[in-house]
Amino acid sequence: MAKRRIRWLAAATAVAVVAVAAVVATNAYGGSKANNIIVDGTTGTVVNIDPANEYDYDSFTVDLMMYQGLYGFPNGAKLKPVLATGCKHSKDLKTWACTLRKGVKFADGNPMTSADVKYSFDRVQRIKGDQGIYSLLTDLKKTTTKGPYKVIFHLKSPFSIWPYILSTNAGYVVEKSKYPANKILPNTDVKDLVGTGPYQLTKFTPGQQAVLTPNKYYWGPKPKNDGVIINYYSKSSTMKLALEQGNLDMAFQTFTPTEIAAMKKEKGLVVHSAPGVVIRYLVFNVKRKPFNNINVRRAIAYLFPRQTIAKRVYHNTVSPLYSMVPKGLPGATTTYKKLYGAKPNLKKARAAMKKAGVKTPLPITLWWTPTHYGDASADEYVEIQRALNASHLFKVTLKSAEWAQYSGALGKTYGAFQLGWFPDYPDADDYTVSFYQPQSFLSNGYNNKRMNKLINKERAAGNEKLRLKYIRQMQTLAAKTLPTIPYWQGNMIAVGRSNVSGIQSTLDATYYMRFWKISKS
Amino acid sequence: MTGTSLRTYLLTRLALVVPMVFILLTLVFLLMRVAPGNPIEASLGGHVPETVIKQIEHRLGFDKPLLTQYGDYLWNIVRGNFGTTITDNRPLSQIIAQNGAATLELTFFAMLIAIGVGVLIGLVAGRHRDTPLDVFGRLFGIVVYATPVFFLGLMAQLVFGVWLGWLPTSNQASPITQALLQTHTNILFVDAIWDGDWAALWDVVKHLILPATTLGLATAGIFIRLIRVNVIRTLRDDYIEAARARGIVERRVVFHHAFKNALVPVITVVGLNLALLLGGAVLTETTFNWPGIGHALVLYLENRDYTAVQGIIVVFALLVVAVSVLVDFINAYVDPRIRY
Repeated sequence: MAKRRIRWLAAATAVAVVAVAAVVATNAYGGSKANNIIVDGTTGTVVNIDPANEYDYDSFTVDLMMYQGLYGFPNGAKLKPVLATGCKHSKDLKTWACTLRKGVKFADGNPMTSADVKYSFDRVQRIKGDQGIYSLLTDLKKTTTKGPYKVIFHLKSPFSIWPYILSTNAGYVVEKSKYPANKILPNTDVKDLVGTGPYQLTKFTPGQQAVLTPNKYYWGPKPKNDGVIINYYSKSSTMKLALEQGNLDMAFQTFTPTEIAAMKKEKGLVVHSAPGVVIRYLVFNVKRKPFNNINVRRAIAYLFPRQTIAKRVYHNTVSPLYSMVPKGLPGATTTYKKLYGAKPNLKKARAAMKKAGVKTPLPITLWWTPTHYGDASADEYVEIQRALNASHLFKVTLKSAEWAQYSGALGKTYGAFQLGWFPDYPDADDYTVSFYQPQSFLSNGYNNKRMNKLINKERAAGNEKLRLKYIRQMQTLAAKTLPTIPYWQGNMIAVGRSNVSGIQSTLDATYYMRFWKISKS
Repeated sequence: MTGTSLRTYLLTRLALVVPMVFILLTLVFLLMRVAPGNPIEASLGGHVPETVIKQIEHRLGFDKPLLTQYGDYLWNIVRGNFGTTITDNRPLSQIIAQNGAATLELTFFAMLIAIGVGVLIGLVAGRHRDTPLDVFGRLFGIVVYATPVFFLGLMAQLVFGVWLGWLPTSNQASPITQALLQTHTNILFVDAIWDGDWAALWDVVKHLILPATTLGLATAGIFIRLIRVNVIRTLRDDYIEAARARGIVERRVVFHHAFKNALVPVITVVGLNLALLLGGAVLTETTFNWPGIGHALVLYLENRDYTAVQGIIVVFALLVVAVSVLVDFINAYVDPRIRY
């Protein structure tokens, strides 16, 4: 009997100890340690942190906190010198001389000099990483230095937007003594992955977590928080739950339109939104029947149901887009609206089909992929099919393919197909030249002499005003010749708990999440 | 005589592993090659020029004849080299160590829950045959076995995470705990004990409860039915009657004689259920964002990283083969009737 009592007593003591430990634990981790650390959630995946082989948005979000280029977008959508105090170009736009900012140090305390800058550019070109970021430096012939604070870039051809290239991670400056010349540093090598940015990486667990703490040697204004933890989720529904439970302070990238609509109504959560730079568009192979007929393409452009897609499919989390250059970027126009109207116009579509001289309803096939642009793609293409079929001018067949197959086929196989775009650098050039140059990745047979001339002129423009003039002309020409039909521009959306401030201030056309501006009370 | 035949059995069983593994590896290889599209292009996205894609294909040997690729693939596996993922350049060995540790943590506790719940309900149901307790036990067993594990997980998240707010619904630990905890074994439960960080340990335990229970319950259904049947059968055995006839107290008869013998077949089933548990872990890990090897498999499948998928499936397959061989060994050792 006594033995049994002792057993019960021991069990009760154990329970009490666990309970006390639990209370202590809850206080410890809910207490001061976590007070000003921002915990962010994302459904993204980090591929490479080393900037020499980083070419995806999720890796970039981490890199943006750790690294800097000679130019950048530190406070908004306007390009500004960052590690440079400025760059001067030669008359022919083929030589760019940049003066470096003095007093800049890497996160390990070593000073940044022109040797580091030259090394960084040479390294990207030498490594030629499989993510393809080196392709942004195709026009760079060589990099030279003049003293510790001057770097000179020698280009192969006139390049008016060179400072934009300097803002990409192809131009992020790394420390010569830390980064091997021929090899990419692994993501887990947090000791060596140092940059000049406001944070340094202190822990990285692939697929789970990135932990960043303020860089004590940072030359600029101190971050408004004591650190950032990015937690990676495989499903947005799980991330939403974590946010609702308070395990996350904020979440950025990517909720479904339905989840966003639901969170807008939830107490304690704030949905922040601003026009973003992600776009969706339909591509035509202009050499393939029946899309080689400009009037067929025009009829489709007249009937395109942009508003319906934005409202019904995306619950207004995207905005109708009337040019490949999204609203918010300098030089953006709405030429498609001007030429084809804001809403579907059946009368004009009929006239275009009459001009095309084809028998209606014309059978066409539209291709889309269910595995790259989100679940809503299916609904998106059903809406397009419905709108075109309702006109009785077309009989649309929808076909889809897995991304593995789709990405290799594009214009080589398909006549009309869905694509999306996220820019390499937030400038109109990236939304025009990428699609309209001959031999573009679209493989859609588009090769317009006038367009090619405009591209050359834009790249050689001596000043910004002139450059944007050519950009606008390119958009007008594209709307007339229709190699693509842009139809929506995604908003940049982040959801934060109500005690988190500063999120809205970083939402702009660059699509940069500047965590250093965010704090919590 | 028995020793000799046991040795023969073990050797034969081991010899059979070779064709079994060979068939498995061949199937994985062929299935990955039959899938449409270019895996390199698909996993790297649209930025990479054609020349670079060709270079990577060459580096990975994708441009070689299929038979050569197959030979290289087998040779690499023999050397323990499972390759490096295409999408994030992670060596497969790192995935096995990091994500595998998380899966081990989850499946270990899930198995504890499965055995605990299964044995308890199975014994009670068997002992009280055809009573409401038995009906409840059987019903419970069928329901948890038949319910898809992801649905069970979602319900658990909804009830205990959203409605009651008692337990966290995702990850191995809260972000702050995970960030501060030193990594020793990649098993957070062990790491927290290693550091003597009881606050972190409690946080880890809280995060373990829902996923381990979900996965455990799915397996517990099998144990409930198995143990119930065994208890009923054992209670009818002659030696139990004899024990009763000798005047041994009923409780002692049941606990010391019947239950102990009824639990023997569970050893076999525990091993065989590992495959089921690993399959369930893929779904449970995805539901709870548990960073295990199943979770990694789903992510790499979504990103069309065929090298990673191939490597993980091979590891899964080898693990299941190893466990089934081990179970056969234990069975043969325990039961002398099992021989070739």
